[in-house]
Amino acid sequence: MNETEPRPDVFLATAARLWFEDMADRGIVVTDDALVIRAWNAWLVVHTGIAAVAAIGRPLFAVCPDIPARGLDVHYRRALDGEVRVLAHRFHRFLIPVIRSAVSGAAHEMLQTARIAPLSVDGRIVGTITIVEDVTERVVSERELRSQILVAERARAIAEDASQLKDDFLATLSHEIRTPLNAVMGWSRILRNKVDVKSRDHALDVIERNAAAQLRLVEDLLDMARVISGKLRLDVKAVDIRPLVQAAVDVVEPSAAAKHITIDISAGPDRRVVNADPDRLQQAIWNVMSNAVKFTPNGGRIDVRVTTKNRIVEVKVTDSGQGISPEFMPYLFDRFRQADGSPSRRHGGLGLGLALARQIMELHGGSISARSEGPDKGSEFCVRLPEADLLGQVALSPRSSANASTLVGIAVLLVDDSDDSREMLGIALQAYGADVTAVASTETSMEMLLGGNMPDVIVSDIGMPGSDGYELIRRVRALPLPATQLPAIAVTAYADAEHRLEALGAGYQMHMPKPVDPAIVAEAIKTLVTAARSAPKS
Amino acid sequence: MELTVVQQDALIELLNIGFGRAAASLSQLTGHRVLLEVPSVTIHAVGDVAVSLEAVIQHDVASVHQIFSGPVAGDALLLLDQSGASMLKELLTNEPALPLAFDASAREVITEVGNILLNACLGTFGNILHVQVTFSVPRLSLESVGAILESLRVHRESVRYALVIHAGFKLRDAEVRGYLVIVLSVASLDRLLREVEGWERNNR
Repeated sequence: MNETEPRPDVFLATAARLWFEDMADRGIVVTDDALVIRAWNAWLVVHTGIAAVAAIGRPLFAVCPDIPARGLDVHYRRALDGEVRVLAHRFHRFLIPVIRSAVSGAAHEMLQTARIAPLSVDGRIVGTITIVEDVTERVVSERELRSQILVAERARAIAEDASQLKDDFLATLSHEIRTPLNAVMGWSRILRNKVDVKSRDHALDVIERNAAAQLRLVEDLLDMARVISGKLRLDVKAVDIRPLVQAAVDVVEPSAAAKHITIDISAGPDRRVVNADPDRLQQAIWNVMSNAVKFTPNGGRIDVRVTTKNRIVEVKVTDSGQGISPEFMPYLFDRFRQADGSPSRRHGGLGLGLALARQIMELHGGSISARSEGPDKGSEFCVRLPEADLLGQVALSPRSSANASTLVGIAVLLVDDSDDSREMLGIALQAYGADVTAVASTETSMEMLLGGNMPDVIVSDIGMPGSDGYELIRRVRALPLPATQLPAIAVTAYADAEHRLEALGAGYQMHMPKPVDPAIVAEAIKTLVTAARSAPKS
Repeated sequence: MELTVVQQDALIELLNIGFGRAAASLSQLTGHRVLLEVPSVTIHAVGDVAVSLEAVIQHDVASVHQIFSGPVAGDALLLLDQSGASMLKELLTNEPALPLAFDASAREVITEVGNILLNACLGTFGNILHVQVTFSVPRLSLESVGAILESLRVHRESVRYALVIHAGFKLRDAEVRGYLVIVLSVASLDRLLREVEGWERNNR
């Protein structure tokens, strides 16, 4: 060994001193057995602002009066008895107060964990050593982690809930599909064996009823699938909501009658016109109605009120049924959600009806809401739609009941530049009893009207050479009374919503896309003329 | 080697005095009333401790380990199963615990609790033996019971025994069970038990 090479413990002592003074990333303070400071490292100088020369030689509790003030001096007394103490930040926050400035600029107290240990030489305790560690950043990141875990757990709970809901829905679906099939198959077998007329009629009734129920179910499912994929398209037109409400009530009437439920409708004598797809709107109202019938006990009562308030048309369905619990209320219009999803539940169905009703109403720019005072206090559903802006529009019932005498005594001016169309519709309307004058242009029409030859209704094409159907109706509306109030129907190949609005805006009461069913046109003429004749002359 | 009834009763009584002080410190720290109970003390050869503890703790444990030295020397450990450790941390700090591996704050809290308990326990023994023992810094580790106890056996040639102290923390209507394991040489244990018996005679 080289004579000049230092002994190994010199390396250790030098390294320890360097670490203590310069490299340690925590505070180190050493005291003697009278708790007078003997060493105070660079970390403490930097963080407390107390220089080593100002600390060394003074009592620890004089340099850090906070320690005895907070009762932490006991740990030093214990250390002098030979015990090691660890102080968790969670219990003590810090040992030596340090104010940190974070990157954000906000000053806050440094969180510390500390260890206090006796220093002993040859079995005799000669002092203490304290090591203080800054855990502020770690605590912040733990807090962050904790909150992220909470968020993740919450999200997982919601996802599990949704997946559970789908499982429940599939179970319900298979039950609901099997039930009518069971009746259909059972009665089909009976039919095969029994031939007497009475039971055959009954069997066919049951089969038909159950097949219809099945169809309803499948349609609901398909509609919901369309809504979810955004493929449900509305064919919006101006309609009177009252016949739709009546039609929806008609559908549930038999099941209501079977439960001796009284349904009372009040819709008022005035038309309540909204822009809607009549089939879909009726479906929404039907879903609300059938929900009311389902949850109203035998001998109960359902009131249906149609009103208009502040240009909002409202259909209110109030029942005397089991009501809705406040807990279920927020989920009422959720898909697949049923208040009672248990196998022993009293009510069938897929839990899609109200969800569909809501989707349909929202697609219409309307709304649906529910209210209930609580269980057994009945419930109230309210469907709302803005009143249609265009005045004088008339509703059509979806099915025509036109017959040979529908248009007797009605003079129709039919305008169409296409000979074939004009001829077809002319002949058809004559067949319903109308007195038809058919012309090929706006000019001819105007000549006729100006000549004092006033029809009861104008049925006109839009796309015509020269002066088109829009021009025609504008000129008609500019004539003196009674031509301004002359009912008019546009029949056109321009079938989209934009052209429909343009036609209505120009002055037609109604817009029918080609090809038209003459029966529907006849029905429309009848409705418009009847309405015009009963309207007060102004 | 087994404890006599007299030795067992005396140890339980002594430990309950020490733990009473530890419980008072914990109550003061947390602001909740904390009770510590010692229902039983048993003695085992070190090699058998794992077997008897694995019957009550199946999964990994959080252990707080302190080595003590002086006239009486050995190892002192607090063992908590991990759910017990998390629960204890939640009860003491009123804040949800993450899995201990990710939650240094929870590990610190458990370390301090272990430190207080082991100090109380060894302080009691020191007083009765009229000796001063010094301690190492407590270390917390997350391992299986077997692995922890195995580490106590290596590099120690002499036959050693372990006092296994069952401890119950009661706070806020909940209870968490833990185990203190004090490993001593045969000579240290003999001396301790003789002093315990003497204390018992003097206090009756």
